[in-house]
Amino acid sequence: MSRSLRWGIGLLLVAGLLLGAFFFLPFRSWLPGGTVGNIATREVVNGTLLNRLFPKPQTGEQLVFTQEKRGFSQARLKQGAEVRALLSISDVASSPASRNKFIHTEERLQSWPLVDQGSQASALLVADRFQVKVIGQGSGLDVQQRHELLGAFDLAALAALNPSALPAPAIPTGRQALPPGKQAPLRLPLPGLQRQAPKAQPSQARVPQPAAHRKPSIFNRDNAALEPAA
Amino acid sequence: MSATVLERLERLPRRNLTVLALRGISTLVPGGWQNKTSPDELISDVLGSDDPELVQQVRARADELSRARHEGYRRALSLYDAVNRSQKAAGGLRVLANVAGALPLVKRLAELTPASQTLQAVDLSLKVAAEMLAFTQVNGLPGDSFAAFGDSLREYTGEARVRMAALVCFDALLPLGDNALHRLDGLLGQVGSRELHQLPSYAGMASLLPGRGDAAHLSFVRRGVDQWLGWADGFVGDLGLSGQRAVRALETTIGPWHGGMEQLATFLDAFTDTYSHTGVQAVARRLVERAAAEI
Repeated sequence: MSRSLRWGIGLLLVAGLLLGAFFFLPFRSWLPGGTVGNIATREVVNGTLLNRLFPKPQTGEQLVFTQEKRGFSQARLKQGAEVRALLSISDVASSPASRNKFIHTEERLQSWPLVDQGSQASALLVADRFQVKVIGQGSGLDVQQRHELLGAFDLAALAALNPSALPAPAIPTGRQALPPGKQAPLRLPLPGLQRQAPKAQPSQARVPQPAAHRKPSIFNRDNAALEPAA
Repeated sequence: MSATVLERLERLPRRNLTVLALRGISTLVPGGWQNKTSPDELISDVLGSDDPELVQQVRARADELSRARHEGYRRALSLYDAVNRSQKAAGGLRVLANVAGALPLVKRLAELTPASQTLQAVDLSLKVAAEMLAFTQVNGLPGDSFAAFGDSLREYTGEARVRMAALVCFDALLPLGDNALHRLDGLLGQVGSRELHQLPSYAGMASLLPGRGDAAHLSFVRRGVDQWLGWADGFVGDLGLSGQRAVRALETTIGPWHGGMEQLATFLDAFTDTYSHTGVQAVARRLVERAAAEI
């Protein structure tokens, strides 16, 4: 085998391995397209927190939870064997366009903007962050019933879940790494990677760790400029 | 880029053997079954309105959701596909064995194919496991919540009941006889990793099952089947399902059948995809319910 052929095969192997590693190893989760609208999952409120805010079922009714994902939770309201309505709470961080329909509405329910979509759906935008929706199923619900159901959600507790409404953490003294969500993102010169920033950037309300327990981070150096001159 | 869930729904057949078999079996289930293959109809059914602009919005959102890898809707479909491939291959093997058994020269070949009852039991359990895994993918629960799966089975209504009736009839009652559900545990007890590997596309599903190694997979499958059996027993009793009734229900749509029940089951396995057909419809409905809530 000639020398150049050997080199060629060797290089081909190396290139193949690198490409394979990039596409099949855990790097895959770094590629865009993993989450809805490429919003990081940690920026979206977990569905588990939303479950307990659903209305309490009346006598003869039953609430069956059907989906619980990050930023979304859905339940069916059943009466006997019949499904009356789909109830859901979603975090609009992953669907910014859904906010637009609330801009022109004058209707309010407990001071939050209210919109009717078609003949069977009503939606409420709570704290500019959570969309609460009731969709009538089967024989359907009238507007009045849907609005009552919307009002039966624990809206005050839901509004309190909004990360940007949480009290800001105390300003730390000394060298501090910024919490994961606030660090400057690594900008790669890849085309089509522009992330759509949600309008209200949720501040990460994390209690800063004491310096002794902090993991050493390469990002600490970058943040030195943010420190108050002591 | 593979197709989104709604595109898969649109490509489902409107009238073929699969649809006829399902229509036949749906006569046994109160509520019946409609072969919904149009995304727009499904959306306006969920939304209770056929405003074209709203339908368009829901569809765009559903496509966005099914393209996101973390959301699991497409992974649920790939589970159903893996099971479907396995069913076809196992059915094909048995058709081959039936044909080969009749020819003197290749009779030896027929003896090489695995015992069909064990194979059928494994096939059924893999389907149940896939049902459970797809349930956790779509509903967003951790991968081994057996109890939640058991509870959700009781909530299966309408189309989902037809789907389960098809599973019970085509994969348990017809091939294994009327006491199939009681024998299933015993049959699964005889299954080792050798039988598991004889199933042509266990390999396709192995990577999707939690745990490492055949033993872990097998115990996962058996725990899932335990949950399912507890429910299926009541289901069969409530609807009064039996092999005979299933054959009669099928005859109303696919025409008279003169062979045995086992041959009918083999035939259905090899030539229909009832499981993935209803699977795509079930996942599409869940996806649309979410998209309608998020627009």
